[in-house]
Amino acid sequence: MTLVKKKWLLKLVPLIVICLTSTLVFASSGGDNNGASMTHKMTYFVLQLAVIVVSARLLGFIFSKYLKQPAVLGELCAGMIIGPYALGSIDLPLIGQLFHIQNALMPVTTELYGLATVASIILLFLAGLETDLAVFIKYSVAGTLVGIGGVIGAFFLGDYLAVFFGVATGFMDPIALFLGAISTATSVGITARILSEKRKLDSPEGVTILAGAVIDDVLGIIILAIVIGIAKVGGSGNNVDWGSIGIIAAKAFGFWIVCTALGLILARKITNIMKWFKSTETIASLSLGLALLLAGLSELAGLAMIIGAYITGLSLSRTDVVNELHHRLSGIYSFLVPIFFCVMGMLVDFSAMRGALVFGIVYTVFAVFGKVAGCALPALLMKFNLRGALRIGFGMLPRGEVALIIAGIGLSTGIIGADIFGVSILMTLVTTLIAPPFIVSLFEGKPGIEQSEDDDAQSRTIQLRFPHIDIANFVIKRLTLAFRNEQFFVHRIDSDFRLYQMRKDDLSLSMTLNESTIIITSCKKSSMIARFVIAEEMLELGEAFESLKNMSEVKKMSADLISGAVIAK
Amino acid sequence: MNIRKAFSVETICPKLNGKNKEEIITELLTQLSWSGKLNKNDIPAACDAIMQRERKMSTGIQDGVAIPHAKFSGVDELVAVMGLTDSDGVDFESLDGQPSHIIILTLSPENKPVPHVQFLAELSECLLDADTRQTLISAETANDILTIFQNYNK
Repeated sequence: MTLVKKKWLLKLVPLIVICLTSTLVFASSGGDNNGASMTHKMTYFVLQLAVIVVSARLLGFIFSKYLKQPAVLGELCAGMIIGPYALGSIDLPLIGQLFHIQNALMPVTTELYGLATVASIILLFLAGLETDLAVFIKYSVAGTLVGIGGVIGAFFLGDYLAVFFGVATGFMDPIALFLGAISTATSVGITARILSEKRKLDSPEGVTILAGAVIDDVLGIIILAIVIGIAKVGGSGNNVDWGSIGIIAAKAFGFWIVCTALGLILARKITNIMKWFKSTETIASLSLGLALLLAGLSELAGLAMIIGAYITGLSLSRTDVVNELHHRLSGIYSFLVPIFFCVMGMLVDFSAMRGALVFGIVYTVFAVFGKVAGCALPALLMKFNLRGALRIGFGMLPRGEVALIIAGIGLSTGIIGADIFGVSILMTLVTTLIAPPFIVSLFEGKPGIEQSEDDDAQSRTIQLRFPHIDIANFVIKRLTLAFRNEQFFVHRIDSDFRLYQMRKDDLSLSMTLNESTIIITSCKKSSMIARFVIAEEMLELGEAFESLKNMSEVKKMSADLISGAVIAK
Repeated sequence: MNIRKAFSVETICPKLNGKNKEEIITELLTQLSWSGKLNKNDIPAACDAIMQRERKMSTGIQDGVAIPHAKFSGVDELVAVMGLTDSDGVDFESLDGQPSHIIILTLSPENKPVPHVQFLAELSECLLDADTRQTLISAETANDILTIFQNYNK
């Protein structure tokens, strides 16, 4: 008990130190938070960051652990609570307002928004890396139709509603286009987690949702590119210059296609050059550098930075270093991304939202309807029954990080105001909150598909049962080594239980341990190599175990070890 | 290593003379040394390494195909040599009990990760196809065989 208390005290020490030092710093500088000196600005920035990091993490933890909600929502709420429109505006002794409104357009400081921008680049870079093009290609027909349906449904309802409510002057008004674009971006992270827990991720609906999410991401980014292009030349609802809009759309789409094609073609050559350094840290840094470079270039080309970041990730997702990149960048991701969501929450101006509340509620209802109907209809036309179609529709419902990033871009460029930004946050929150209970109850019961799944597309599973869990543990270690020797990149996905992924070029296998059984899942293409690697390894092991069995002195060796007889003097 | 680029005219024996497993392996290793990919003095040691692997389990897979292989310190990259026996085939103690006609021997370095097993898996996948096997067996010259491999999967 005392030990536990001590641990808590130890955890509190850094916080106390931060508070004390900040008090001292501000006491010595007179607490003038408008001071222009660089040191002063940075001190202020660091203090803000301290509060953001701690509160985002704490609320994220409470949301995921106790409320069973995605941590993102907690981080977003943390931002709303501590932001300049809430607690942040309270005049503190010595410090003054920790977060005071900078200007009407952007309530947070440039430094803070800059950090959030870098975080959004990393977020989209990793989202690109996680895009499983193989899954997408395998289930492309159903997935593509579901993805396109959802995007069209959500975009047009969002855009139409803005015009209907008089928020925008016409369908091509940047505000309307932004409301459409914000509504398109599905975030399947939460769906994937629920389905993974219920072991439904491999179901036809689960796979279609994942494939649909890929096309959804890609389309969402293209739409964003086009919308930003139109907004930058100042399109308006009244006089639509279709010619220049066509050029912008073609330019945005062209940039996307050319960069993605070049990326996919050159990715392996680039990673081969990077492998020359023989260090995964270097490869990760160089790749991140590449993502930042392309992000900057795409902004210069008149698109958003996240588009370049996403393309870089997508290009590298087909290379064999993808798991190493993921592993190396996950640290910086888990540190920076909560800051991004927290800063997004800080941008919510509650008073501005009050006026747009009715519109916000209707927009949210339509965002739900547009996405569910848009995804369910194509699914219904494919091989799914109504149950399966609804599962897919609600699985595609949650919006998340990309919606927030697009809303943030809209706010920072002045295209949308604080009211519409608030509406976007409301929609993101509600869609993410209401989706899980629907997904859970819809996935109970009968299958959502009439015919059985195509056999060739199914993954192959090899099960190896061992007489003892220790042997299975030993063998799984040996197998990871054997795959490494075959120049596979082996990545332990989950540190809590043994789940490995092995990748090389476009070959991919996963290996897991269930009590004393090793289960290896592979696609048809990598099934043969899996069998051969295991067979060769088992022959080696057979010989090793045989030699151990023949070691008659095992008991004597143990006795000597315990008695100390083996210690050389 | 890619199946299409794995062999050259020098590493293909269109007609093997050996009458048993060991003779065939020695013959293929000799061919490998002629091609310059194996030191002549290393032939006995390489043969031992391969026979040791054969004793654990025969590499005569099925349908008349055998893929003897081993890790061997005398090579510093994955090397492959292949040959065809006469129409009777050679007893390789294969899994289906059938004599082997197509023998592909590979050696990979001992302490260096090379995609050796992947190459074997790809080879087996290629030779699972009855038509490919038949065209190989009926090939007359090293050049004919090379063309079959070079056109594989095209």
